Amino acid sequence: MKTLFEFENVCYRYPGHKQLALRNVNVCFPEGEKIAVVGRNGAGKSTLFLHCNGLYRPLCGRVSFRGRPLAYDRASLKKLRQQVGMIFQNPDSQLFSASVAQDISFGPLNLGLSEAEARRRVLEAAEICEITHLLDRPTHSLSGGEKTRVALAGVLAMQPEVLVADEPLASLDPWMRLTFFDILQRFYDRGKTILMATHNLSVVRYWASYVIVLQEGQVVFSGTPKALLTNRTVLEQTELSRVWWKVDPGFDEDEEERVLVSTPSSAESTDGEGKSFQFSADGDWSI
Amino acid sequence: MQLIERYAYTNRLRTVPPDHKAAVALLVLLLCLALDRPAVSIACIAWMFLLVVPVAGVPARTFGRVLVVEGGFILMTIPGILISIGPSAPSDSTAWSWPLGPLWISTSAATLWQGIALVMRALGCAAAMNFLALTTPLVDIIELLRRWHIPSVLIDIMTVTYRSIFVLLESANTMYIAQDSRLGYLTSRMRAIHNAALLASRLFVEAYRRGKELQIALESRGFNGDLRVLPMTYRFSPLFTVLGAVIMANLVLLWAMA
Ligand SMILES: Nc1ncnc2c1ncn2[C@@H]1O[C@H](COP(=O)(O)OP(=O)(O)O)[C@@H](O)[C@H]1O
Ligand SMILES: [Mg+2]
Repeated sequence: MKTLFEFENVCYRYPGHKQLALRNVNVCFPEGEKIAVVGRNGAGKSTLFLHCNGLYRPLCGRVSFRGRPLAYDRASLKKLRQQVGMIFQNPDSQLFSASVAQDISFGPLNLGLSEAEARRRVLEAAEICEITHLLDRPTHSLSGGEKTRVALAGVLAMQPEVLVADEPLASLDPWMRLTFFDILQRFYDRGKTILMATHNLSVVRYWASYVIVLQEGQVVFSGTPKALLTNRTVLEQTELSRVWWKVDPGFDEDEEERVLVSTPSSAESTDGEGKSFQFSADGDWSI
Repeated sequence: MQLIERYAYTNRLRTVPPDHKAAVALLVLLLCLALDRPAVSIACIAWMFLLVVPVAGVPARTFGRVLVVEGGFILMTIPGILISIGPSAPSDSTAWSWPLGPLWISTSAATLWQGIALVMRALGCAAAMNFLALTTPLVDIIELLRRWHIPSVLIDIMTVTYRSIFVLLESANTMYIAQDSRLGYLTSRMRAIHNAALLASRLFVEAYRRGKELQIALESRGFNGDLRVLPMTYRFSPLFTVLGAVIMANLVLLWAMA
């Protein structure tokens, strides 16, 4: 497994705060995987993600991308940010332009592309995200789900290698989620990496191929979903067992093994085949 | 505001190049100011009605409502022009005057006529600007300013301000509902005022937070100090251009004939 991001002893503290938001984080993000990052509110998921494209600089320790420590000068950051696309928790904070097409064109133009090429990228990204009919609309008139898809298009138009999505499901309805996962799947099929913060058990179990668990600013687990769901110690320590067991009676602490094996699309089988990821009818299991 | 926005985006003149619309609006505005005849002012309003309602497809009610609101503001300034107050009765025999304590209030047919002409002229100018506002979204106007080489700092400020207005309206609305649902405005007048003040101060904090988030989001997409986005594409409309020329010619003719 090739390593994409490596965090070594990373600490981070928000200015003016006493508590560390990240405490000695040591973790590797494998390349070409679908990575789920879970943890309670305030565990540090967003903070961790903001380190991935150099928006935050660690207080101590270091972050490496493809084996090279991040450099924080202008040119290196520009290169990094082209490769690492970011969808924020609140899509409103991401859209600044008055019109959707213009907003999507912002990234490509910053890459120094010509207007014609930028226009092509906008159309392409809009088509992938199924928002072609929204291109002329002002961004403030969109619904939450539409904003998320526009934000996604704005990132895809930059043709990144990695997609970092911070709790993107919150604003999407179950149908939109299916579309969203189709888009992610196509991105993944081209050998790219996806990082997603989520509270959703079915995402962890059926979509992700790798899971990282954060608790109070520390990484307490990283590995395959199956390894997590059979790791009693971690599940109990993070209280994930409590919530996941409650919302999904099929998920029993003593029977995880059986549940996982009997599920047709277990974690392993998602690899390779296109759309094995499916939401169950009550796809809203959450922590 | 949101109503105007909606029509600005959905009207049938949306794809006409904003330069043409801005040119028509500004020329009508200038002619209305320069050619000081009530007939010209009325023609301005009529032509703008024609452009906004049948041509662009905006409901007549909307056109009327916006103009009535503006008319209200204009009328508020009119008494000062119509009525003059002085220490003695005016010498002009055609004037009407009434004593008020030691002072005299007076007006005349001429000033009345002048007042009406002024109101019509102001309404004509307002109609020209309304035409632009109802058919051209601010996005297009900003784009136009960019092409007219207005400094990009100003344009970026306009863009972000425009966007922030809606973001803040939304947060203000959410906060208001949150307060209202917990009876924030129903207990007493004093509490209501206090809660409104609370909302306003929270809004500043919110604006600051949003600004920071925006900064981070822009940087993640490679922001380099210049908010560059794609210009829009528009379609040249012969009908609109001809109509514009007819309007100008008509206004000048009306003035020359009188
Ligand atoms: N802008 C901020 N200013 C100060 N503290 C913050 C800010 N954002 C997050 N924090 C703090 O950092 C910690 C981690 O937060 P965050 O990364 O947002 O968690 P998560 O995304 O997992 O919910 C929390 O304790 C939170 O209170
Ligand atoms: Mg978060």
